[in-house]
Amino acid sequence: MGFITPFLSASVAQAADKQLGFWGRLWNMMKPPEDISVHGNLIDWLFGYTTYMNIFFFVLVCVGLFGFSWAYRASRHPKAYYTYGNKKIHVIVATIIGLSVFIGIDMNITRMSNDDFVGVFTNWPTEKDKPVRIQALGQQWAWHFRYAGKDGLFNTEDDVVQLNDLRLPIDRKVIIQVLSKDVIHSLYFPNARRKVDAIPGRLTRLWFQPTKAGNWDIACAEMCGTYHYRMKAHLTTYSPEDYAAWLSEAQAKALEENDIENPELFWGWKWQW
Amino acid sequence: MNKALEANQIQGKQAVHAVGMTVLLVSFAMLFATLLLGYIVFRLTTDTWPPQGLARIPLTLPTISTLIIGVSSVFFMNFEKAFMTNQLGKMRAFFGLTMGLGLGFMLVQLELWNSMKEMGLWVSGGAYPSLFYSLTWIHAAHIVMALVSLLFLVPRLFEGYDMDRITWVQNVGKFWHFLGLVWFVMYIVMFVY
Amino acid sequence: MAFFEQHIHSEPKTFLSKYIFSYDHKVIGKQFLWYGILFLGIGGIMALMIRWTLAFPGQAFPIIGNFLFPETGGVVPPDTYAMLFTMHGTIMIFYAITPILIGAFGNFLIPLQIGARDMVFPLLNMLSFWLAFVSGVILLASLFTPLGAAAGGWTSYPTLSTLIGSPGAGQTLWTLALFILGISSTMGAVNYITTIIVLRAPGMGYFDMPLSVWGLGLTAILNAIFLPVLGAGLLLLIFDRVFGTTFFLAGAAATSGTGDPILFQHVFWIFGHPEVYILILPAWGIVSDLLSFFARKPAFGAKATALAMTSITILSTVVYGHHMYTTQMSPLLTQSFMTLTMTISIPSAIFFANWLGTIWKGSIKFPTPMIFSLGVVFVFGLGGLTGLYLATVTTDLYLHDTYFVVGHFHYTMAASVLLGGYAAVYFWMPKMFGKMLNETLGHIHFWLTFLGLNGVFMGMMIVGYAGMHRRIYNPFVYEFLERLIPMNTFVTYSALLMGVAQFFFVINFVYTIFFKKEKASDNPWEVGTLEWTIPSPAPVYNFKEIPVVKCGPHEFGNPNLTGDRDFQYQTEELV
Repeated sequence: MGFITPFLSASVAQAADKQLGFWGRLWNMMKPPEDISVHGNLIDWLFGYTTYMNIFFFVLVCVGLFGFSWAYRASRHPKAYYTYGNKKIHVIVATIIGLSVFIGIDMNITRMSNDDFVGVFTNWPTEKDKPVRIQALGQQWAWHFRYAGKDGLFNTEDDVVQLNDLRLPIDRKVIIQVLSKDVIHSLYFPNARRKVDAIPGRLTRLWFQPTKAGNWDIACAEMCGTYHYRMKAHLTTYSPEDYAAWLSEAQAKALEENDIENPELFWGWKWQW
Repeated sequence: MNKALEANQIQGKQAVHAVGMTVLLVSFAMLFATLLLGYIVFRLTTDTWPPQGLARIPLTLPTISTLIIGVSSVFFMNFEKAFMTNQLGKMRAFFGLTMGLGLGFMLVQLELWNSMKEMGLWVSGGAYPSLFYSLTWIHAAHIVMALVSLLFLVPRLFEGYDMDRITWVQNVGKFWHFLGLVWFVMYIVMFVY
Repeated sequence: MAFFEQHIHSEPKTFLSKYIFSYDHKVIGKQFLWYGILFLGIGGIMALMIRWTLAFPGQAFPIIGNFLFPETGGVVPPDTYAMLFTMHGTIMIFYAITPILIGAFGNFLIPLQIGARDMVFPLLNMLSFWLAFVSGVILLASLFTPLGAAAGGWTSYPTLSTLIGSPGAGQTLWTLALFILGISSTMGAVNYITTIIVLRAPGMGYFDMPLSVWGLGLTAILNAIFLPVLGAGLLLLIFDRVFGTTFFLAGAAATSGTGDPILFQHVFWIFGHPEVYILILPAWGIVSDLLSFFARKPAFGAKATALAMTSITILSTVVYGHHMYTTQMSPLLTQSFMTLTMTISIPSAIFFANWLGTIWKGSIKFPTPMIFSLGVVFVFGLGGLTGLYLATVTTDLYLHDTYFVVGHFHYTMAASVLLGGYAAVYFWMPKMFGKMLNETLGHIHFWLTFLGLNGVFMGMMIVGYAGMHRRIYNPFVYEFLERLIPMNTFVTYSALLMGVAQFFFVINFVYTIFFKKEKASDNPWEVGTLEWTIPSPAPVYNFKEIPVVKCGPHEFGNPNLTGDRDFQYQTEELV
């Protein structure tokens, strides 16, 4: 029974959760990761809304399925009611069910999702918002991040270039332009509920605004080869002051250490608003 | 089996083949439509066409191909007419002409690919030559298929009309005309514009 | 309706012509059934290896692990893991579900249920199976190439699937195998559509066909239209790999010129979304029929069900963009695809209303095919409703490429189609092989499978919502996924349960076919469609006399019926 062992040891590893009890731990697993962005709650809220509507309609289906199966089983209800279901009342009921699903869930979530999509997720920060600008490049199997240096221009000698290590300030909008060097990747921030594909030859972008300082994971969500699962980067969110301190240090270091002879360094591109 | 019943069978068979062939040609049409859609997407998303200073492919050879395949379709129609009236001599002549023009089309296509190479358009030279090579290759592969299916009609040239074989002649004909039509669309979309 | 009457085949004499190169649609159907079940087993074992790796990373796969992966001591290595999930997806979709539902039951049911002696093009039918066979051999052969099989996911997006990402021959063979399978399925589709149009028995209008035939026919239409689209994409991918064209190469990977990797995604999903319905439509049709058969009551709103299926078929062609929200299409496209996708729920809801309407006030019996059908209603309800999260663009931004997607499409494609397929096998077994499957084993099979699959796919949705992304070898290198270890273990145990449950089926199936002596009666389920008017198993020529159809397929419990039957054959005048 060797294969039971990891299960047990996993449980031991979760000893901290033990006091939660079984249901507590189950509930814990059913939650998305901690939300660290201003607008992540929109997605969580819409998910919750859809879930409640779904549960309502699925319970209806189950009531019909199990209820009818029980109530009209042959031993209890030997004579079936002969109908084609084309009486007016039948058609009306079927239509009402169809429309209530469509109007009750679909049109509602479409409208809300559309509002969020247009109003928030594709409402890109402009130059006036002074967002943190990042360029991200995916390659098999690592993420590169680039900050403009003191000159505010990308792809110049004083850029801060990070490997698998993204640092962001909180309470400021962040806009990331994403590109891939080889195959398609997908830049995935589980904690910000956001992802966007990194595609060779085509810029995509993504923005969010962190709210909490801490350490988080960044992943690649699109299959990109054998070590796809290892394409993990680290996100550190700082308070504005800590971020400023880190940035000035990193910029100084970049001026010192950037090897301008190395063409590999200049994978960036001109920032396009 | 009596004559009337047999005629009914033949009619049924013709109807069956008409339906089946229509479905089949819709499938083929979707294949070419997808390829042309791909072409159009590349074409519309590229700022200058042809891209990167590559040369346009001159119209001469494609125009010759178009004429050849158009005329061969007309010959095939005549072959079909001769088959229905069981005129062996005419059948042979028109069959030969169709077949000849089909082979001629392939020769012109070969010449087209040669000329593209001479212009410096290599298969691996980017999306633009890739598109022209691949689409013409796929079309040519279908032409080869059609030429092979023409061979199935060779026994008719010696045995003449046969009720059982009407559907064969019609199906091969439909496929042949279909490929001509596809080439015409390709000619307009890819070479003329 | 019938354009002409087919001749009665002469009985094949030799073993070859009877069992191998048979023109008989019933034999070809059985060939497809065995083929599908074989691949279902292979794909299932792959699934267990995948699950094992996710729950117990670094542990040797039990029993066969040491034999398969000697160099790692039985642990699935990461590159093999990628091959496993790629092949699992490909095999299950194209080599298991498609052959079982479309190949086996399409072939078997269409002529029998419309009163024809065979498919209209028997030779084409045979070629269709043998091309599928060749394709299967190529696919399996690709497992043994030096760099292993394709490993880019069943979607095989370039540029990962071009030489940049997968240099081995495996990917080329994968593409080739799918292209050949596409040709085979297109041949089948041409055959099905033509057969349904021209060979319906005299008196049988389109709405007199059983809904199974509706489902299979609509599937065939989608196949005929959209497989060539995939074919075109695959051809271009083959050209990219073999001849060095650059359709899908872009950015730093492109040596010269610029292609567009996203073009493949468009082409793939133009085909791929209808493919989802290609798989599910036959199951819908079969379930709609079976619910009526065992509720002993006409199918509720059968016309509406047929029309709802048709409208879904049409809608399925214009919604594919919801697979590509994260590639950042233009917002306008995104919005329109979201809205169009949502409209699919209207016909789907009508289905559910009609299914529940069918069992409402019925007189329901619960033999194995019926509980499988009721199971389909349950799991498809879950699968359909969870689709809403993924059609909605903002929730999809979070859920795209997570296990939530995996759970969702397994509910719709694996769970519903698998249960529907089993329902069909249990139901038509007497007509196919002349013997009945054991009911007790069937019930055990159902309940274990049902528990197992809900555990697996519900668990997948939970870990997906918790953020676990797809196709990762070891999720626990991520801190935010560590808390999901118990859930992943639970999913794996459920998968093992589901795997064990299938043994009950295999034992039942093999025993019944090869060892059971007791013959089934001609109409054991007391159903009135045309295939039950002939002996079991169906004779070579199907119908001695072509039947004349006088009423619909679901005539049960008509109060005017006298005698001890509560159903009518389709060949009888409606009383």
